[in-house]
Amino acid sequence: MSRSRTTGIDLAARWLFIGLLILYTIYNLGPIFWLLISSFKSRMDLFTMPPKIFFTPDLSGYESVFGVGSAKDSASAFGVFESLVNSVIVSTVGTALAVFLGTLAGYVCSRFNFSGKGDFMFFVLSTRMLPPVAVLVFYHLMFAELGLADTRFGLILVAIFANIGLATWIMKGFFDGVPQEVEQIAIVNGYTRMYAFLHLVLPMVKGGIAATAGFCFIFAWNEFAFASILTTTKAKTLPVKISAASGATGIEWTQICAAGVVLIIPVLIFFYLIRKHLLMGMTFGVLGRR
Amino acid sequence: MTQIDASNRKRSSGRLMILGFLSPSLAILLFMVAYPIFSLVYYSFFNFSALRPAAGMKPVGLGNYEFLLGDPELWERFVFTGEFVALCVSAQMLIGIFIGYQLQKNFRGRDLLFTALMLPMMMSPVVVGFLWRYMFNSEWGVINYLLTVIGLGKVDWLGQTTAALFAAAAADTWMWTPFIVLLATAAFRGIPETIYEAAEVDGASPAYTFFRITLPMSAPVLFIALILRLIDSFKQYDLFFALTGGGPGSSTETVSFAVAKTAFSYFYTGEASALAVVLLVIIIGLSMILVRHLNKMGERY
Repeated sequence: MSRSRTTGIDLAARWLFIGLLILYTIYNLGPIFWLLISSFKSRMDLFTMPPKIFFTPDLSGYESVFGVGSAKDSASAFGVFESLVNSVIVSTVGTALAVFLGTLAGYVCSRFNFSGKGDFMFFVLSTRMLPPVAVLVFYHLMFAELGLADTRFGLILVAIFANIGLATWIMKGFFDGVPQEVEQIAIVNGYTRMYAFLHLVLPMVKGGIAATAGFCFIFAWNEFAFASILTTTKAKTLPVKISAASGATGIEWTQICAAGVVLIIPVLIFFYLIRKHLLMGMTFGVLGRR
Repeated sequence: MTQIDASNRKRSSGRLMILGFLSPSLAILLFMVAYPIFSLVYYSFFNFSALRPAAGMKPVGLGNYEFLLGDPELWERFVFTGEFVALCVSAQMLIGIFIGYQLQKNFRGRDLLFTALMLPMMMSPVVVGFLWRYMFNSEWGVINYLLTVIGLGKVDWLGQTTAALFAAAAADTWMWTPFIVLLATAAFRGIPETIYEAAEVDGASPAYTFFRITLPMSAPVLFIALILRLIDSFKQYDLFFALTGGGPGSSTETVSFAVAKTAFSYFYTGEASALAVVLLVIIIGLSMILVRHLNKMGERY
């Protein structure tokens, strides 16, 4: 019955769908290909019309990002490498602390019922939804007052608060997957709840902690709004430095493209490591637990 | 007797654990979120500039809000933000659901393609903004080059309001459609195979199966995706900062962008606070819909 229905219309629809999928793939991957190519172009090759696909590769963009070679003394490369170092420090320290706090909070939210738990969970999640510019109006004043403006410490504080919500919700999801009996049996056998948490439950969610760290790192690494307003010179992160990459000759496209590629690399590594937990991270631990 | 003792001790140790495990997070969030938001509401009733704190804070009551309501430029920001949100969220949902549906079929290289398609979502919004600005350049941009190759004229993408709106929507759609694809694929794969088999036995057409089975059954997950995208695109700032810089003129400024400009270029702190409060109210409203839905989902699985 159903087989005889496979008519010309169905076949045409199938080819149409394949065509659209290919079209979307070009739209999706084309710009990334273009970014990669452009990062190896010299300033001359960037502006040629028609655009060149084949050209002699030029590493000046990468040299300025890593602060090596001819870029060392060039004015346009000033401080780019330092901002890469800032990015690495802020996002790794911020991630580690956010995951630590999120793990503790996630465990409590998964295991205990306490008054105000729903409100706490909403409050925590809402921090993730917050438009950065809204709180920045006040941060701008607060950070200046506390001497946190343009410091890595200030940005680490921001990275912690901005990622606690995500970390708590994802970790709660992972803890929900560990049966309550684990602690119950331990307590019956005379161990404390703390012992059960540290030595039994935590090792069971090791993978979850790694995935959570991956997510927090990606968000902290790409963060722009906070860093752009709260830093002026010495604590600038790489995304902020990119946005300021306009020298005497206009926007330094080679440098921007190279920095863009460099910014993707750690994200790609984490992305590969956490690919199984992707859903969990994107939906606050609600989906993907199954 | 001893049993009661033990259970009492257990309960109090539980309370200690709740307190000890939650208070550091709570402290940071109160300091970094609650305190700033309360101060923001407070500032919104004053005429005050962060640049000249010595000039003092003049209480103006609801003056800042009244000013905002009567400001035609602000309405333009909201209209522009609304157009941007409507355009890119609907494009992302449509394309995302379609691609997600195609990717749930089995074919060679599917997993590799799926992973590659997730790439744009992983990039920094500023890099995305600059990348598209680079490609949209009217003189030497690759997009105008491709347009001339297929015989169309060059478009001044970032120099006209409508074209810039579409350019921004194209960039945002490029970045976030993978997110919808990810969630849609997961939702579609969660539908039991037996339901499809039953539909096939009944002789249902593919279109009927998609609209009457696949879509309704994955609606809860797609709803999460929709709300998340609404929130994120509504507060979009980074992309416009890098792509259009708010221009031409100030025609592509989103509400977030207007807050930043009022606060950090003009230093009208009081007015910026009032605008930030309005923005917050809208976002919190959307978040509450989301959380209610998430809780329902959490109970189901």
